[in-house]
Amino acid sequence: MSWDLSTQNPNDHALRLANALLRANGGTTALLQMSPATGDATDAGQLGLNTPNFQSLPLSPAVFRRIRATMKEGQPVKYELLVSAVAVQTAVSELQLSSADALFSTTASVVVGGKSFLIESVSVSESMGSVYMYRLLLRESASEWQMQQASQ
Amino acid sequence: MENAKDTFYITLRNRLSTVNPNRTMILRAVTRPGILVEEAEAPVAELPLDVFVLRWTKLDADTQLPSTLTQMTCEIQYATAGTQNNAGLDRGRALEAMDDELLRLLCPSSAQKMNYAQTPASQMGTLIFWSQAVFEPATTVRERMGRVVTVSVFAFQEQGER
Repeated sequence: MSWDLSTQNPNDHALRLANALLRANGGTTALLQMSPATGDATDAGQLGLNTPNFQSLPLSPAVFRRIRATMKEGQPVKYELLVSAVAVQTAVSELQLSSADALFSTTASVVVGGKSFLIESVSVSESMGSVYMYRLLLRESASEWQMQQASQ
Repeated sequence: MENAKDTFYITLRNRLSTVNPNRTMILRAVTRPGILVEEAEAPVAELPLDVFVLRWTKLDADTQLPSTLTQMTCEIQYATAGTQNNAGLDRGRALEAMDDELLRLLCPSSAQKMNYAQTPASQMGTLIFWSQAVFEPATTVRERMGRVVTVSVFAFQEQGER
Protein backbone atom coordinates (compact mmCIF):
# COMPACT_ATOMS: atom_id res chain seq x y z
CA MET A 1 0.00 0.00 0.00
CA SER A 2 1.28 3.47 -0.78
CA TRP A 3 0.24 7.04 -0.15
CA ASP A 4 -1.09 9.20 -2.96
CA LEU A 5 1.63 11.84 -3.28
CA SER A 6 0.37 13.45 -6.48
CA THR A 7 0.07 17.22 -6.45
CA GLN A 8 -3.44 18.54 -5.98
CA ASN A 9 -4.43 22.17 -6.04
CA PRO A 10 -7.72 22.41 -4.23
CA ASN A 11 -9.83 25.42 -5.09
CA ASP A 12 -13.43 26.35 -4.56
CA HIS A 13 -14.65 25.67 -8.10
CA ALA A 14 -16.69 22.62 -6.99
CA LEU A 15 -18.21 24.68 -4.22
CA ARG A 16 -19.23 27.47 -6.58
CA LEU A 17 -20.47 25.02 -9.20
CA ALA A 18 -22.63 23.23 -6.61
CA ASN A 19 -24.02 26.57 -5.47
CA ALA A 20 -24.89 27.58 -9.02
CA LEU A 21 -26.47 24.22 -9.86
CA LEU A 22 -28.53 24.15 -6.67
CA ARG A 23 -29.79 27.67 -7.38
CA ALA A 24 -30.60 26.83 -10.99
CA ASN A 25 -32.39 23.58 -10.12
CA GLY A 26 -34.98 24.81 -7.72
CA GLY A 27 -32.99 26.85 -5.26
CA THR A 28 -35.25 26.59 -2.26
CA THR A 29 -34.61 27.35 1.43
CA ALA A 30 -34.75 24.73 4.13
CA LEU A 31 -35.20 25.64 7.79
CA LEU A 32 -33.42 23.54 10.40
CA GLN A 33 -35.31 23.43 13.68
CA MET A 34 -32.58 23.84 16.29
CA SER A 35 -32.78 23.88 20.06
CA PRO A 36 -31.77 27.22 21.57
CA ALA A 37 -28.12 27.70 22.59
CA THR A 38 -29.15 27.73 26.23
CA GLY A 39 -31.17 24.58 26.71
CA ASP A 40 -33.96 23.91 29.16
CA ALA A 41 -32.34 22.05 32.05
CA THR A 42 -35.47 21.86 34.19
CA ASP A 43 -37.39 18.68 35.01
CA ALA A 44 -40.39 20.04 33.11
CA GLY A 45 -38.20 20.51 30.04
CA GLN A 46 -37.26 16.81 30.08
CA LEU A 47 -40.84 15.65 30.61
CA GLY A 48 -42.39 17.38 27.61
CA LEU A 49 -44.13 20.00 29.74
CA ASN A 50 -42.23 23.06 28.53
CA THR A 51 -42.23 24.27 24.94
CA PRO A 52 -38.83 23.51 23.38
CA ASN A 53 -38.58 26.94 21.67
CA PHE A 54 -36.87 25.54 18.60
CA GLN A 55 -35.25 28.19 16.45
CA SER A 56 -35.30 28.17 12.67
CA LEU A 57 -31.96 28.22 10.91
CA PRO A 58 -32.27 28.86 7.15
CA LEU A 59 -30.08 26.94 4.70
CA SER A 60 -29.95 27.92 1.04
CA PRO A 61 -29.51 27.22 -1.79
CA ALA A 62 -31.00 23.77 -1.47
CA VAL A 63 -32.84 21.37 -3.74
CA PHE A 64 -35.66 19.28 -2.36
CA ARG A 65 -37.02 16.25 -4.19
CA ARG A 66 -38.86 13.02 -3.65
CA ILE A 67 -36.60 9.99 -4.01
CA ARG A 68 -39.27 7.35 -4.47
CA ALA A 69 -42.26 7.59 -6.75
CA THR A 70 -44.10 4.55 -5.38
CA MET A 71 -45.50 4.52 -1.86
CA LYS A 72 -46.06 1.52 0.38
CA GLU A 73 -48.97 1.49 2.74
CA GLY A 74 -48.01 2.74 6.18
CA GLN A 75 -44.57 3.83 5.01
CA PRO A 76 -43.80 7.54 5.07
CA VAL A 77 -42.56 9.01 1.80
CA LYS A 78 -38.85 9.74 1.67
CA TYR A 79 -37.24 12.82 0.22
CA GLU A 80 -33.78 14.15 -0.20
CA LEU A 81 -32.45 17.59 0.38
CA LEU A 82 -29.29 18.68 -1.37
CA VAL A 83 -27.71 21.59 0.47
CA SER A 84 -24.77 23.74 -0.50
CA ALA A 85 -21.72 23.22 1.72
CA VAL A 86 -21.29 27.01 1.86
CA ALA A 87 -24.64 27.32 3.63
CA VAL A 88 -23.79 24.50 6.03
CA GLN A 89 -20.36 25.94 6.81
CA THR A 90 -21.91 29.34 7.49
CA ALA A 91 -24.43 27.77 9.87
CA VAL A 92 -21.73 25.75 11.64
CA SER A 93 -19.58 28.81 12.29
CA GLU A 94 -22.61 30.92 13.22
CA LEU A 95 -23.58 28.45 15.94
CA GLN A 96 -19.92 27.82 16.90
CA LEU A 97 -20.28 24.07 16.42
CA SER A 98 -17.42 21.67 15.85
CA SER A 99 -18.70 20.14 12.60
CA ALA A 100 -21.58 19.71 10.21
CA ASP A 101 -22.30 16.37 11.90
CA ALA A 102 -22.88 18.23 15.16
CA LEU A 103 -25.22 20.60 13.33
CA PHE A 104 -27.36 17.83 11.86
CA SER A 105 -27.35 15.70 15.01
CA THR A 106 -28.75 18.60 17.04
CA THR A 107 -31.45 19.32 14.47
CA ALA A 108 -34.92 18.30 15.62
CA SER A 109 -36.50 18.50 12.17
CA VAL A 110 -36.25 20.22 8.80
CA VAL A 111 -38.99 22.44 7.42
CA VAL A 112 -39.35 22.83 3.65
CA GLY A 113 -42.32 24.61 2.13
CA GLY A 114 -44.11 24.72 5.48
CA LYS A 115 -43.91 20.93 5.99
CA SER A 116 -41.85 19.18 8.60
CA PHE A 117 -39.41 16.34 7.84
CA LEU A 118 -37.10 14.20 9.96
CA ILE A 119 -33.47 13.54 9.04
CA GLU A 120 -32.79 9.84 8.41
CA SER A 121 -29.18 10.10 7.29
CA VAL A 122 -26.61 12.54 5.99
CA SER A 123 -24.01 12.00 3.27
CA VAL A 124 -21.56 14.30 1.54
CA SER A 125 -20.13 14.88 -1.91
CA GLU A 126 -16.46 15.82 -1.99
CA SER A 127 -13.97 17.15 -4.48
CA MET A 128 -10.28 16.90 -3.64
CA GLY A 129 -11.08 16.24 -0.02
CA SER A 130 -13.35 19.20 0.56
CA VAL A 131 -17.11 18.90 0.85
CA TYR A 132 -19.15 20.86 -1.67
CA MET A 133 -22.64 19.46 -1.03
CA TYR A 134 -24.57 17.70 1.71
CA ARG A 135 -27.31 15.20 0.94
CA LEU A 136 -29.93 14.74 3.65
CA LEU A 137 -32.28 11.80 3.45
CA LEU A 138 -35.58 13.01 4.91
CA ARG A 139 -38.68 11.22 6.10
CA GLU A 140 -42.07 12.91 6.00
CA SER A 141 -43.18 13.78 9.51
CA ALA A 142 -46.47 12.21 10.57
CA SER A 143 -47.63 15.48 12.06
CA GLU A 144 -49.52 17.82 9.78
CA TRP A 145 -48.48 21.01 11.53
CA GLN A 146 -48.31 24.15 9.49
CA MET A 147 -44.77 25.36 9.98
CA GLN A 148 -43.25 28.74 9.31
CA GLN A 149 -42.11 29.07 5.70
CA ALA A 150 -38.81 30.50 4.64
CA SER A 151 -39.03 33.99 3.20
CA GLN A 152 -37.26 34.06 -0.17
CA MET B 1 -50.96 8.54 35.04
CA GLU B 2 -48.66 11.26 33.80
CA ASN B 3 -47.51 11.91 37.34
CA ALA B 4 -46.54 8.25 37.75
CA LYS B 5 -44.66 8.25 34.43
CA ASP B 6 -42.90 11.51 35.29
CA THR B 7 -41.97 10.24 38.75
CA PHE B 8 -40.59 6.99 37.36
CA TYR B 9 -38.35 8.84 34.90
CA ILE B 10 -37.10 11.45 37.37
CA THR B 11 -36.39 8.74 39.98
CA LEU B 12 -34.33 6.70 37.54
CA ARG B 13 -32.56 9.79 36.24
CA ASN B 14 -31.58 10.94 39.73
CA ARG B 15 -30.40 7.45 40.65
CA LEU B 16 -28.34 7.24 37.44
CA SER B 17 -26.45 10.41 38.33
CA THR B 18 -25.36 8.62 41.52
CA VAL B 19 -24.83 5.11 40.13
CA ASN B 20 -22.77 6.27 37.15
CA PRO B 21 -22.12 10.02 37.03
CA ASN B 22 -20.10 9.52 33.83
CA ARG B 23 -23.09 8.30 31.83
CA THR B 24 -24.16 11.66 30.45
CA MET B 25 -25.39 12.95 27.12
CA ILE B 26 -25.90 16.31 25.48
CA LEU B 27 -29.46 16.71 24.37
CA ARG B 28 -31.03 19.98 23.23
CA ALA B 29 -27.93 21.86 24.40
CA VAL B 30 -28.13 20.45 27.93
CA THR B 31 -25.71 17.98 29.50
CA ARG B 32 -27.78 15.57 31.54
CA PRO B 33 -27.74 11.96 32.77
CA GLY B 34 -27.94 9.43 29.95
CA ILE B 35 -31.60 8.57 30.21
CA LEU B 36 -34.56 10.03 28.35
CA VAL B 37 -38.25 9.56 27.73
CA GLU B 38 -38.73 8.83 24.05
CA GLU B 39 -42.14 10.51 23.81
CA ALA B 40 -40.82 13.74 25.37
CA GLU B 41 -38.01 14.24 22.85
CA ALA B 42 -37.85 14.92 19.13
CA PRO B 43 -38.28 11.76 17.04
CA VAL B 44 -35.03 10.30 15.73
CA ALA B 45 -34.18 7.79 13.00
CA GLU B 46 -32.02 5.73 15.35
CA LEU B 47 -31.96 5.70 19.14
CA PRO B 48 -28.76 7.11 20.67
CA LEU B 49 -26.07 4.74 21.90
CA ASP B 50 -25.07 4.28 25.55
CA VAL B 51 -28.28 5.91 26.77
CA PHE B 52 -31.35 4.45 28.46
CA VAL B 53 -34.52 5.21 26.50
CA LEU B 54 -37.88 4.87 28.24
CA ARG B 55 -40.81 3.92 26.01
CA TRP B 56 -44.29 3.68 27.51
CA THR B 57 -46.43 0.99 25.90
CA LYS B 58 -49.28 -0.95 27.56
CA LEU B 59 -51.80 0.42 30.01
CA ASP B 60 -54.17 -1.52 32.26
CA ALA B 61 -56.49 -0.23 34.95
CA ASP B 62 -58.12 -2.10 37.83
CA THR B 63 -61.27 -0.16 38.63
CA GLN B 64 -62.63 -2.71 41.14
CA LEU B 65 -60.54 -1.24 43.96
CA PRO B 66 -61.56 1.76 46.10
CA SER B 67 -58.98 3.73 44.15
CA THR B 68 -58.15 2.90 40.51
CA LEU B 69 -54.87 1.04 40.19
CA THR B 70 -53.10 1.63 36.90
CA GLN B 71 -50.45 -0.64 35.47
CA MET B 72 -48.24 0.86 32.80
CA THR B 73 -45.62 -1.03 30.89
CA CYS B 74 -42.30 0.71 30.40
CA GLU B 75 -39.83 -0.66 27.87
CA ILE B 76 -36.33 0.48 28.67
CA GLN B 77 -34.21 0.24 25.54
CA TYR B 78 -30.47 0.64 25.34
CA ALA B 79 -27.70 -0.19 22.92
CA THR B 80 -23.96 0.21 22.71
CA ALA B 81 -21.21 -0.15 20.17
CA GLY B 82 -18.46 -0.36 22.80
CA THR B 83 -15.75 2.24 23.12
CA GLN B 84 -13.51 3.83 20.50
CA ASN B 85 -10.38 2.89 22.48
CA ASN B 86 -11.21 -0.79 22.18
CA ALA B 87 -12.48 -0.48 18.61
CA GLY B 88 -15.86 -1.72 19.76
CA LEU B 89 -14.52 -5.10 20.88
CA ASP B 90 -15.74 -4.34 24.39
CA ARG B 91 -19.39 -3.91 23.33
CA GLY B 92 -20.41 -7.04 25.23
CA ARG B 93 -18.82 -5.67 28.37
CA ALA B 94 -20.37 -2.25 27.80
CA LEU B 95 -23.82 -3.83 27.46
CA GLU B 96 -23.29 -5.86 30.62
CA ALA B 97 -22.29 -2.64 32.44
CA MET B 98 -25.58 -1.05 31.33
CA ASP B 99 -27.50 -4.15 32.48
CA ASP B 100 -25.89 -3.83 35.89
CA GLU B 101 -26.57 -0.08 36.08
CA LEU B 102 -30.21 -0.62 35.19
CA LEU B 103 -30.64 -3.23 37.92
CA ARG B 104 -29.24 -0.72 40.39
CA LEU B 105 -31.48 2.06 39.08
CA LEU B 106 -34.57 -0.06 39.59
CA CYS B 107 -33.77 -0.87 43.20
CA PRO B 108 -35.56 -0.02 45.50
CA SER B 109 -38.66 -0.60 43.44
CA SER B 110 -40.83 2.24 44.71
CA ALA B 111 -40.85 6.03 44.91
CA GLN B 112 -43.02 8.81 46.28
CA LYS B 113 -45.35 10.03 43.55
CA MET B 114 -44.67 13.65 42.62
CA ASN B 115 -46.48 16.22 40.51
CA TYR B 116 -43.92 17.82 38.21
CA ALA B 117 -46.52 19.88 36.35
CA GLN B 118 -46.32 22.32 39.26
CA THR B 119 -43.33 24.49 40.10
CA PRO B 120 -41.87 23.55 42.49
CA ALA B 121 -42.86 19.89 42.15
CA SER B 122 -45.26 18.80 44.86
CA GLN B 123 -45.39 15.52 46.73
CA MET B 124 -48.53 13.45 46.27
CA GLY B 125 -50.24 11.11 48.70
CA THR B 126 -49.26 7.70 47.31
CA LEU B 127 -46.26 5.78 46.08
CA ILE B 128 -45.55 4.35 42.69
CA PHE B 129 -44.01 0.89 42.60
CA TRP B 130 -42.77 -1.42 39.90
CA SER B 131 -42.21 -5.07 39.10
CA GLN B 132 -38.94 -6.89 38.63
CA ALA B 133 -37.23 -6.16 35.36
CA VAL B 134 -37.70 -8.67 32.54
CA PHE B 135 -34.56 -8.72 30.40
CA GLU B 136 -35.10 -9.66 26.74
CA PRO B 137 -32.29 -11.43 24.89
CA ALA B 138 -29.61 -9.09 23.57
CA THR B 139 -29.91 -8.24 19.89
CA THR B 140 -27.11 -7.38 17.49
CA VAL B 141 -27.58 -5.07 14.52
CA ARG B 142 -24.26 -4.58 12.76
CA GLU B 143 -21.94 -3.09 15.42
CA ARG B 144 -24.75 -2.23 17.85
CA MET B 145 -25.64 -4.56 20.70
CA GLY B 146 -28.84 -3.74 22.45
CA ARG B 147 -31.47 -4.95 24.82
CA VAL B 148 -35.04 -4.21 25.84
CA VAL B 149 -36.03 -4.48 29.49
CA THR B 150 -39.67 -4.44 30.48
CA VAL B 151 -40.95 -3.11 33.78
CA SER B 152 -44.57 -2.81 34.94
CA VAL B 153 -45.15 0.41 36.86
CA PHE B 154 -48.14 0.56 39.22
CA ALA B 155 -49.78 3.66 40.62
CA PHE B 156 -53.03 4.55 42.37
CA GLN B 157 -55.05 7.32 40.80
CA GLU B 158 -55.52 10.02 43.37
CA GLN B 159 -58.56 12.24 43.58
CA GLY B 160 -58.55 14.92 40.93
CA GLU B 161 -55.60 13.32 39.18
CA ARG B 162 -55.75 12.77 35.41
